[in-house]
This record gives sequence, structure tokens and C-alpha cells, in this order.
Amino acid sequence: MTIFWLVIVSILVLPILLFLAVAFSPKLLDQGPEWFTFNSFKAAADPYFLRSIWHSFVMGVVSAIFATAIALGVAWIVLRTNSAARKVWNLAIFALLLAPSYLIALGWERIFERAGVLNIFGIDVPFVRDLLYGPFGIAMILTFKGIPFAYLVISNAMRGLGEEFEQAVRVHGGSRIAAFKMMSTLLLPALWSGIAIVFAESISDFGVASQLSSPGRYSVATFTLYRSVMSIPVSFPLCAAISIILLLLIVVALLAQSRALRGRSFRVLSGRTRPITRQKLSPFGSFVSNASIYVLLILTLGVPVFGAISASMIQGLGTVISDYQINFDNYIRVIKSPLLRSPLLFSAEAALITATVAVILAAISSRMLVSTKNGAGKKFLDFFLLAAVGLPGIVFAIGYIFAYNLPLAQKYGFHLYGTVALLVLAYIATALPSTTRSLVGNMNQFQESLSEACRVHGSNGIKTWLTVVLPLISRPLLAAWCLTYCGTLLELPVSQILFPPGHAPLAVGIDHALGNYDFGGGTAMEVFAIISALIVVAVAFALYERLAPVGWKQLGRAHQ
Amino acid sequence: MSTSTNKGHRVIIEKARKNYGSLAALDGLSLTIEPGQFMVLLGPSGSGKSTLIRSLAGIEKFDSGSIFLDKQEVNRGPINIAPEKRNLAMVFQDYALWPHLSAFENVEYALQRRKLSKDISRQRVETALERVGLSTKGKNYPHELSGGEQQRVALARAIVADPALLLFDEPLSNLDADLRERLRIEISTLTREIGATALYITHDQSEAFALADKIGVINRGKLEQVDVPEEIYERPTNRFVANFTGIAGTFSGKVKRVSKTSCIVALGEDQLKVRHTVGLKVGQSVDVLIRPAATSFKKDSENKISSVITDVAYRGRGYEHAIDTKYGSLTGVFDNISHPRGGRISVSIDPDRCIAFPTESK
Repeated sequence: MTIFWLVIVSILVLPILLFLAVAFSPKLLDQGPEWFTFNSFKAAADPYFLRSIWHSFVMGVVSAIFATAIALGVAWIVLRTNSAARKVWNLAIFALLLAPSYLIALGWERIFERAGVLNIFGIDVPFVRDLLYGPFGIAMILTFKGIPFAYLVISNAMRGLGEEFEQAVRVHGGSRIAAFKMMSTLLLPALWSGIAIVFAESISDFGVASQLSSPGRYSVATFTLYRSVMSIPVSFPLCAAISIILLLLIVVALLAQSRALRGRSFRVLSGRTRPITRQKLSPFGSFVSNASIYVLLILTLGVPVFGAISASMIQGLGTVISDYQINFDNYIRVIKSPLLRSPLLFSAEAALITATVAVILAAISSRMLVSTKNGAGKKFLDFFLLAAVGLPGIVFAIGYIFAYNLPLAQKYGFHLYGTVALLVLAYIATALPSTTRSLVGNMNQFQESLSEACRVHGSNGIKTWLTVVLPLISRPLLAAWCLTYCGTLLELPVSQILFPPGHAPLAVGIDHALGNYDFGGGTAMEVFAIISALIVVAVAFALYERLAPVGWKQLGRAHQ
Repeated sequence: MSTSTNKGHRVIIEKARKNYGSLAALDGLSLTIEPGQFMVLLGPSGSGKSTLIRSLAGIEKFDSGSIFLDKQEVNRGPINIAPEKRNLAMVFQDYALWPHLSAFENVEYALQRRKLSKDISRQRVETALERVGLSTKGKNYPHELSGGEQQRVALARAIVADPALLLFDEPLSNLDADLRERLRIEISTLTREIGATALYITHDQSEAFALADKIGVINRGKLEQVDVPEEIYERPTNRFVANFTGIAGTFSGKVKRVSKTSCIVALGEDQLKVRHTVGLKVGQSVDVLIRPAATSFKKDSENKISSVITDVAYRGRGYEHAIDTKYGSLTGVFDNISHPRGGRISVSIDPDRCIAFPTESK
């Protein structure tokens, strides 16, 4: 455990604390003359900043509630009914997880912007454009982005939930709706986890903010932070102060979550849990459930994918030329040009390492978070993991620069600044909180007696983990691995701040291409990246289905 | 620790204390279990029996006190030998079968610590499954088994490695009555066959009397009485033990006369001869605790009280009656024939099976 805590402190706690300390003590990191001051908070109290923080809060609440509610409905359709659309959703979910928010926003933009795809086909819808570049558009994309996070948490919990609880409601006179309410109550740990994750992800999201937020229209906190970091001279204390205010919002979410769950036990996964039987839907029910899933997929994936693919095949998009050509030239350029190809390979390697290490750490962290022991350590970890979710990636990266550029770090031989190692460490640290949260719901259902039985029947702690804990959560672990891999592959803010010379990650490569008005090349890289990630996910699950013992695979599986 | 044994551990627990916040789960409890003995700890919910058995397993630790397994001290202060090194096995209340492993694999898992060859290991698992009547269910996963079958797998898992100490954490509480009785017999015979020391906790007195070589009655973290079942039943040392080991009812009265082993208690108009506990005085208020076995409808008895039948329950071998008297109700009054509800009848009380305790001040 000592190594675990050393890793957590080095990659998560230290950079966060040092950066946050700048808000109170600029002199500590050579960012001002004062050892202790609240001046940065006074600066953050400016109406412009306060308004952006309020906007972030509203966006967080709206997207968390809508995303979790939608995810609950989708999870029920996919896991508890014979709806045909469930198979499509199972494939689509990882595409949705993979797509960073800025790519989803970019896809919508490419279609509806002036001189965009629809314009080229002679269609102009200015009211949709106005909605997109405002609170509605931001909340919509954040909700879309939040749905897969909430879905993963809820579906993992729902898999472990036998149907006997719903049957008990029905045989005691409850309607289908009452049974659904009972199931929702038993899923409360997962629902609250879903809300907490989506809220934290939304208020720390930079991708949507970078595309749809603007000072003149609807600015959110991460956008104002970004502008502050990019302005000259940079006011790091001000950024830290805004970050602390964002963190406080997350603390409120954490408190609300723990208050709602206080003293309630939801441990329902055990050896006695039986697989569920899918509910056969009526023709009308089938139509409604299928239509719901397809409409959701069109909005969340269809539109951005159409935007990206169409943009990648149109030569001259975004320019005022009138002779647009549709072909595959942009894809050929990506394959041939090392400048466009090497970022994809570099990011794939980094994502592979990041996902593996982050999942191992997240498994340990999530077990600690649901443990009845380790009171102080658990609270400490819980706070930092949730705090790290709320910290915008770009700010987190700056914290890394501070921490690993300190004379103390240099003195002890940590020459990590500007290296691939630092970038990967930052990837792991940013992935760890959400990966941990996604596993907590499942760990919560794990009956303590299963590991206790291992210990009394001759296994030490490590063997207990390897032979019982890990197999029982193998599917959620695999899902978490895929989620982290996909997230890291297209990660933007940390990559932009910490990428070492000569090793541009994929998102930086795409950003550079788009920044150079190479919309075709940039979107072609996007498409390649998404396809490669889908292949990795498909291979990972195919290997699991082929190699995992039968007992692992039948956990939580429904009778067809 | 030995890796295999046919003889059980001698278990010594000394001055065990464990608090959960301000609540004392164990309050200076001491207990010795002889090798090969089947000890049952009988107590109500919250009495501390689960804490004790979990501490023996090594899953929990005492705040103070110690545990010896044979001569090795496995728990005292910072000393806490890991569960896997205590050479024991446990049957859990919720069975704790690993859902990703088949019945065979669940049983086989507990044998891994013995490091046997694959063939011998397989043979022992098959034998264990056969002993619990599940030789054809080895390939089934837990969810494919009934509750009784799941508990049998848990039992096979517990005995397969011939542990020196077997712990049973209310293993029958989730089963129906018929299955409970059949599994109780299996637990009793299998445990004695392998020669392990056994500690079994339950709140069910009939289960305790049927299984135990010795019973320890536990209440609020303390042992009230430890003795063979017959003594616990016939000579409870205090009111709690008498109450918890089964009574038909309680009458209140005053001591009228005291002899060497019995006393006469005045209950309003009637008098009842009862066995008394030490130190009763004439004129003292007492509660008379009456065992079900003390009651009958014999006509030739002297110790009789008039009553009204309020309920009759057919029990196969005969009928159990609930009755009302002027001094209180009695249940479990057995007779070979059924007496009609509402009928008046005299109930006889066997003086040897009812005990007077001083009335507790409220």
C-alpha cells in the first residue's frame, strides 16, 4: 500500500496542492510578492468570472440530471428488454465514449456553421446555429458526452442486480412502474455516482467550451480560465482561485451524494444473484424503445460523425471557393504524411500504457472507497479523486509544470519536464478519477463475505484479489480500460501543455491541422482515430469473450 | 500451523474485548473449546457472537484479549495471524460462494493451500461433493443451484481440506425448516467425521441443542453459561439463559415455603411447586419460568392450574396447545389428542422443569 500512496501523492495530490497553493501564496511558486493573500480571489470575484462560474454550475446540473436520467432509461432498455436496438447501442457506446466533447461539438459546427456542410447543399438554418452557440448547445453536447459515463456506471450496477427485487414488487401488487422505481432505488449508488461524474466532467470540460463558448455569448469557467492562461502576462494565482471555486462546487456535489446515501446499504451482488430474464416488449413498446435509442444515437453520434466524415471528404470546406470536390484525398494524405500519421501511433502507445496503469490503480482506489475500513485514507482519496475530476485538464497540466519544474524536483533527479514520461503520468492522473468512479458502483455491490471466504480458505490478500475480486469485476474493468484508452487517445488539454518536442499526440496533431485551416486533413485524422479506437475496443472484447473463463462471462448475463 | 490434521485445534479465547464506537460487542469474554469439540454459541442478534467468530477467523481483531489456536497465539494487540494461516474453514450465513466459479471449483479453491497433486485434489473434491450429495452438480454455477445445494457446496468447501477448526456463521438461517433439519444432520456428522473442532453460532435454541457437545449462551458480549446441553436446559444459571433456551411462559407470584431443592409459590388463589434457584426467601416476589416440557394435561398431577384452550397446532406426533390461565399464557402444551379451542382444562406443571427467579426490579 505504501507504493500505492506514493504514486497517488506524486501524480495526483502534489501537483494539485502546489497549484492550488498559488491562489493563497503566489510567492511560494514565484508568481507574486505575497506569501499569503486573498487578492486572487478578489480578482476572481469580478462579475465576468462569477458569471462564467455560475454558467458552469448551471450547465453541470442540467447535463448531470439529463444524462443520468437518459442513461437509466437506456440501461433498462438495453439490459432488461428484448429491444432490437440494444445490440446497436452496445456497439455505439464506445464510439460515444471515445469521442471527446470537442469532436462532437466540431461535428455539429461543421454541419451548421456558415459555409458549413449544410450551406454547401444550399440549406441554411440560422436559428439552429444560434441555439448551438449558446447555453442550449453547450448543455446539449455536455449531456451527450455525459450519457456514456452515466450509462457505464448504471449498467454495471444493473448487471449485478438480480431481478428478484423487481419480482418481489410485482408479486406484492406493484406495477411495472413501481418495479422500475424499486430498481432505481437499489441503483441509487450508481445513479448518484453517475450524477457526480457527469456534473464534475461537465464543469471541468474544456472541449465544448473551446468550441461553443465565447465572451460575447455564453462563457463558462473553463473558457475564461483558458483565456486567462493564454493571456500575457499569465495570472496563475487567478486561475488557481477560479479552480478552487470550481472545486468547491464539486465538494457540494460530493456532500450531497454522501448525504443521500448515508446509512443505506446497497450490497446486492452475491453468489445467490441469479441472471435476469429479458422482458418481452409489445410491438408498441418495441417501436418506442427502438426509436428512442436510434434518435439518441443520431443526435449524439450520427450528426457529429456525419459532420466529420462529410468534412473530411469535402475539399475546400470552410473557404469561400465555390468548386467543392468530394473524394478521399484527405485520407490518403493522412496515410502518406508522417506529420499526420505519427501522432496517431504515438497516442496509441501512450493510451495503452495509461489505460493499463490507470485501471490497476482505479481498481485499488475504488475498493478502498467502498471499504468499511480505512476511514481517513478513504476520505482523503475520495476528496482528491473527485477534486481531480473537477480540475480542468489544462489547469492540471499547469500544475504538473509547477510540480516537476520545482528546484526540489530537479535536485532529486526528477528531470521529467518536457518528457514523454511526464505526459503519460499526467494522462494517468487525469484518467484515474473518472475510471475509479466508474468502478465504485460495481465495487459497492461486491459482498465482503466473498473475499473473506477466500482468506479463511487459505488465500492471502493478493491471491484473493487475483482469484476472486478481479474475476468478479473483470467486465467492468475491461470497460474501464477501454474507456480510458479511448479518452487518452484523443485527449486535448494535457497533451497541448505537456507534449514533448517531436512527440505530438493525436489531439495536438488534429488541432494543428484545424488551426492551419486544413479541415479536411484534421477531420480525416479524427475519423482514423475513432476507427482505430473502435478496433482496439472490439479486439479487447473479442479477446475477453474468447479467453475469459466461462464463469467470468456468465456474471450478470441475461437469459436470452 | 500444520497443513493437515485429523485432530482439531484447542481454542482458547481470553478476555476478549471489542467495541464498535460506544457499543461493546465483546466485553471481556473468555472461552475454551477442547480439540474435536462441537461448541455452539447461542445468543440473540447483537450479542457479539458474530464478532467472536469473525475474530477467530481472523477477519476482525479484538481491541484487547487474545486467541490461542493450540499453543499459538494468533491474536493479541498487534499480533494478528492472517486468516489463511490459521488452518480453518468457515461456512458463511450468505454461503459466500464465488459466482464466477462452478461448484467443483468453489470446493477445489479451498484445497489449493494443501498443494496436492491434481489427481488427488480432484479426488478429494469429488469425495467432498459426494459426501454432501452433490456429486452430479460439480459443473453447476452457484446461480444454477438451489439454496440448500448452495449451502451444501459451502459445507463441502469447508470440509474438503480437513481443517483443524470449522466455523459456522448461522449457516442454516436462510433455509426452510425441512432442509434446515437435513443439513443440520449433515453438518453434525461430517464435522465429527473429520475430527475438527467446531464453533457454530446461532440464535436458534433447537439447532443449538441438536448440534452441540457444549453450548455457550452469550448475551451483550459476555458468556452467561457454558455447559453441556442437558445442564443448560435443566439448570440454567440465570433468567436470561432460561428464557433464551425456551420457555412456555412465565407466572409471577410470591414464595410461600422453601425447602432444600424446591419451593411453593403462591399465584393468587393457586399454589405451584417449583424448583428454585439459590437464595430465595419466604415472601419474596418471584417469576416462575416454565419449560414447554413441564406442561401436560395429566389428570393425576397435584401441581395443576385451570386454563382455557386458545389454540391447537397439529405437530405430527400430536398436538401443541396454547392456553390462557389466570396468571398468564402458556404455549407448546403437548398432548397426543387434540383439545377443542375454548374448552376448559387443567394444566399440570412438572416442578422439576420450572424454575423460580427473583423478580427483576423494573
